[in-house]
Amino acid sequence: MTAVMERAPGGSGDGVGEGGPGGFRGAVAAEWTKLWSLRSTWWGLVGAFVVMGVMCVILGGAVASNNTNAIAEDDQGVVAVGGIAVDAVDIVQFVVLTLAMLVITGEYSSGSIRSTLQWTPSRARMLLAKASVVAGVLFPVGVALGAVGTAVAYPMLGVWGRFSVGGAVSAALACGVYLALIGVFALGVGAVLRSTAGTLTTVFLLLMVVPMMLGSGGSKVMAHIADSLPSSAGRHFMKGDSVPYPAVAGLVILVAWVVAALWAGCVILRRRDA
Amino acid sequence: MITLRGLTKRYGDRTAVRDLTLEVPAGRVTGFLGPNGSGKSTTMRMILGLDRPTAGVALVGGRPYGALRHPLREVGALLDAKAVHPGRSARAHLVAMARSNGIAVRRVEEVLDTVGLTAVAGRRVGSFSLGMGQRLGIAGALLGDPRVVMLDEPVNGLDPDGVLWVRGLMRSLAAEGRTVFVSSHLMSEMELMADRLVVIGRGRLIADAPVAEVIAGSSRNAVRVRSPRAGDLAALLAAEGVEVVEVEGWDLVAVEVSLERVGLLCHEHGIPLYELSAREASLEEAYMELTGASVEYGAAAGIPAAGAGARAGVAAGLGAVAGR
Repeated sequence: MTAVMERAPGGSGDGVGEGGPGGFRGAVAAEWTKLWSLRSTWWGLVGAFVVMGVMCVILGGAVASNNTNAIAEDDQGVVAVGGIAVDAVDIVQFVVLTLAMLVITGEYSSGSIRSTLQWTPSRARMLLAKASVVAGVLFPVGVALGAVGTAVAYPMLGVWGRFSVGGAVSAALACGVYLALIGVFALGVGAVLRSTAGTLTTVFLLLMVVPMMLGSGGSKVMAHIADSLPSSAGRHFMKGDSVPYPAVAGLVILVAWVVAALWAGCVILRRRDA
Repeated sequence: MITLRGLTKRYGDRTAVRDLTLEVPAGRVTGFLGPNGSGKSTTMRMILGLDRPTAGVALVGGRPYGALRHPLREVGALLDAKAVHPGRSARAHLVAMARSNGIAVRRVEEVLDTVGLTAVAGRRVGSFSLGMGQRLGIAGALLGDPRVVMLDEPVNGLDPDGVLWVRGLMRSLAAEGRTVFVSSHLMSEMELMADRLVVIGRGRLIADAPVAEVIAGSSRNAVRVRSPRAGDLAALLAAEGVEVVEVEGWDLVAVEVSLERVGLLCHEHGIPLYELSAREASLEEAYMELTGASVEYGAAAGIPAAGAGARAGVAAGLGAVAGR
């Protein structure tokens, strides 16, 4: 303990700087280390897979029972197995989003944001590093969630399920892309709002409640507005819809929301004292 | 070296830091003092680019903090030991920190050893005591082997052994030619640790001078006399315009007068002397005198004894220190 630093004052050099490049790559490496050194990350991931499994049991079972009950109007016939996993993402996304927003709101609530900004003073670099890690983790996680959902839905659907390898793979990839993007969106909102509760509420309203309310209104204008919201755009993209717009347009709309949220986060981070 | 030029921070109509211009030199321990709310932490946060100055600049080694490519390898700082996620282990925190600035990860074990946290490095920071958190903060400040070390209240929560260790650490860092900028409320600690002092009050610079000079500038520097004719001497001194602050039996204390003058006066008037000595003000007294007028959150009863009689001397003390 009394052995102080024997090294001459070197500033940047003297063997201290052998650990990598620093800068943006360093910031990404630090965010990666921080993400996996928290228990909440692991619990969140376990939770996402559990919710995905449960949702697919419920949704798959619902299709099968609707098709076999006495009521003819609710019959869906044979459905794509991967589509069940995509439907389950509506709910599963909130577990994943909580994980993503905690990457920044957790730092505000613990005060560790001040440490992070001391390490990486550039606000844009800090937020982009977080976004890279969130997207880099959530894409494979989303693909795995889609695959697990499909695997669980298949036996539940039985004869009412239409399975093809191509369909399952594209559904899983779509889940990965959507969850990665919507995770970065939540991160941007978190950078603006700082609080976990505020961010979760805002994102829940915007992704779930508002589209439902607009959709149930029956008005055409309201339906158009609902279609332009990130969760609806994401669903049209994941389902490969052609109405109201092609799937790729859904992806473009979603990306626009993500870019806007990140940009707002950057602007506000720059203006605000940490 | 840390350079502040016209550094100012306003929150609405409240000015936390007002036009601060100073240099913190390398190779010295510079103490940073001021009452609660005087703007010390705000100043340090602006140096680190955490808060944006309303006006002016803060430079480290001639550049703003935000422009440093690997800031942790230039500036090691401990502002708030609680600025660590409680769910992360001490080691994981330092490893992430090292990676962010391209610092070799083996440095983590070195600094953990330096601060004595190796045995608990795997524990979650949330379970740490105040002192352990403080040690982790110091480990982080040392991680990048920086030329500039800036610590806010480093001995806060440390046991006497830890306080002694921090004092030695600061001195040796400065001896290695580093810039060491430390704030503390413990005057006795500052007196032992610091070479220079920067004192601020209500966001303004009050003093920027070597410790000895700050103490010498205090009006609390006094002459103590013991004589059977203390009463007569008090009258003589008063007639010459010297302030006698205390006469009790054979003991007398006068301020702002030299030993020689008192000695000669006694000789001229045949006053017997049993004792004639200088009583040097403590740093605490000098500090209280300097900041007496600028205490932001003073207790209702005002300033305790050490500063009370000294208020009148503020102007004189200020002149002596600031006018060097």
